[in-house]
Amino acid sequence: MAAPQTSLKALELRGISVPGRLSEVTLSLERGVVAGLIGPNGSGKSTLLQAAAGLLAATGSVLWQNRPLETIPSLERGRCTAWVPQESHFEFGFPVRSVVAQGRYAHGDDSRGIEAAMEAMKLTSLAQRPVNRLSGGERHRVLLARALATAAPLQLWDEPLASLDVRHVLEVVSLARRLAAGGATVIMSLHDLRIANRLDIAVVILDGRIRALGPPREVLTPALLQAVFGVKAVTAPGMTLELP
Amino acid sequence: MLSIRQARLVLPLGILLVGLLFIVSLGVGDMPLGPGQIVRGLLRKDPLAATVVWQMRLPRVCVAMLVGSALAAAGMVMQAYFRNSLASPDLLGVSSGGAVGAVIAIASGLAALSLWSLPLFSLAGAFAATGAVLILAKRGASTERLLLAGVALNALLGAITAFVLSRYTGVFDRNSQILFWLMGGLEDRMWMHVLIAAPIPLAAVALLPLRRQIDLLSLGEQEARSLGLDVRLLRRRLLVLSTCLTATATAVAGLIGFVGLVVPHILRLLVGPEHRRLLPLCLVFGGGFVLACDLVCHTSGGLRLGTVTAFVGGPFFLWLLRRHP
Repeated sequence: MAAPQTSLKALELRGISVPGRLSEVTLSLERGVVAGLIGPNGSGKSTLLQAAAGLLAATGSVLWQNRPLETIPSLERGRCTAWVPQESHFEFGFPVRSVVAQGRYAHGDDSRGIEAAMEAMKLTSLAQRPVNRLSGGERHRVLLARALATAAPLQLWDEPLASLDVRHVLEVVSLARRLAAGGATVIMSLHDLRIANRLDIAVVILDGRIRALGPPREVLTPALLQAVFGVKAVTAPGMTLELP
Repeated sequence: MLSIRQARLVLPLGILLVGLLFIVSLGVGDMPLGPGQIVRGLLRKDPLAATVVWQMRLPRVCVAMLVGSALAAAGMVMQAYFRNSLASPDLLGVSSGGAVGAVIAIASGLAALSLWSLPLFSLAGAFAATGAVLILAKRGASTERLLLAGVALNALLGAITAFVLSRYTGVFDRNSQILFWLMGGLEDRMWMHVLIAAPIPLAAVALLPLRRQIDLLSLGEQEARSLGLDVRLLRRRLLVLSTCLTATATAVAGLIGFVGLVVPHILRLLVGPEHRRLLPLCLVFGGGFVLACDLVCHTSGGLRLGTVTAFVGGPFFLWLLRRHP
């Protein structure tokens, strides 16, 4: 008998709390969606992503594909999720290719998908460059390529677009779409509401609590933006940027 | 940094260099031996040369290489562990613990009764300091807290050494023995010392399969964990192995600074930071570096090994500090 596909959640958070940072966060995401995590600075976006990745001591329970996190061994966790930190400090100048290849550690250090991940992030020409000599945006692309190389079905990206130029922003969004089409689930924190509007789901967080959750066009209303960010939303004609 | 092809040549060149230093070290001393005499001595075909080579020079050369390898490998591990190029193996107070043990053995007169007592006391002191560090690590202390604990432990153990030293200012022979030991040296090393240093190759072999994991650890705890590494287990293993290396080296050669800082650094500049390549190079070049410094001691007439390594390491450390604003 086939397993009921509909009940398989990519990620489930049940009553996750981190003292002073997150309070009773409950969230459930299906496979194959791209979710945007939106909220003001200090609202708990990074903490939520870290808790979801199992990198932070938190109360409550985290489930990956219906499996409680504590039942998944360390090495397998590296195959189940990929986490892209908001900032990365490289004390040692590993070559770019070597950093991307770290994504295959949990797969027995094979080389599957490394070149494709580098190509997707336009890093092939930088393969031998020490990672600590790259610009902030290039370094972020290396981290994204490493996350891609893991081939993990749950991708947790902390502000992946923050230091990218407009072309790379669109490419990363398009990449997230492709991953989702392949059955992966991507959650990224971001500040650009126009980009958030293009995603499948918006998760709005304020003061460590989820304030709203749903399709962006329904959730990101002027009233909510006023309440969460204290800004007035004005619809104005302007440019829309797309990949050629 | 060297190209990949050039980097591949560094290990064979290093082995060749250490081989040359090895032969030169066997020949240099109060009774100089030529290459032919060294070979005849090694093959026991010349009784006098055999005695000089087998009883006096070979143990010293072996201890020098083992100590150098141990300190360089421990330095490399500590730098990855603390994600800091300026970390060194004596950071956690292991060497200072060894120094306290040795100083107590000398001051109490036990060192004069048995040749084994000094290295064994030193080992005990180093492992007691390691125990203190492990207890701290077990309670989930962060890297910063471990570092701070190491600084405090170093200060405390240094004070104990100074206290013992001050109590024996009138007793010339013991006082000078303590000072000599604190400056590190390889005079009169025997096969017994090689035996005491036996944990060094064992710990080095145990480190070899952890090289890839050390790469990941150097990214930081969260990133390493997200990639599937069992960070807590690896950290515990690395603490045990690197303190074992440092403690053993200190027990057989006294306090020798800067090897763990200088050697991994120069190699990292040459071949990059990947530990798969770096660890074997540290083992080879660390041994070679101490062997070369010991040759300087031999030929300079009275310079202590710890002084020579510091003469090289001190200026290099200052240069590093300028490069790391």
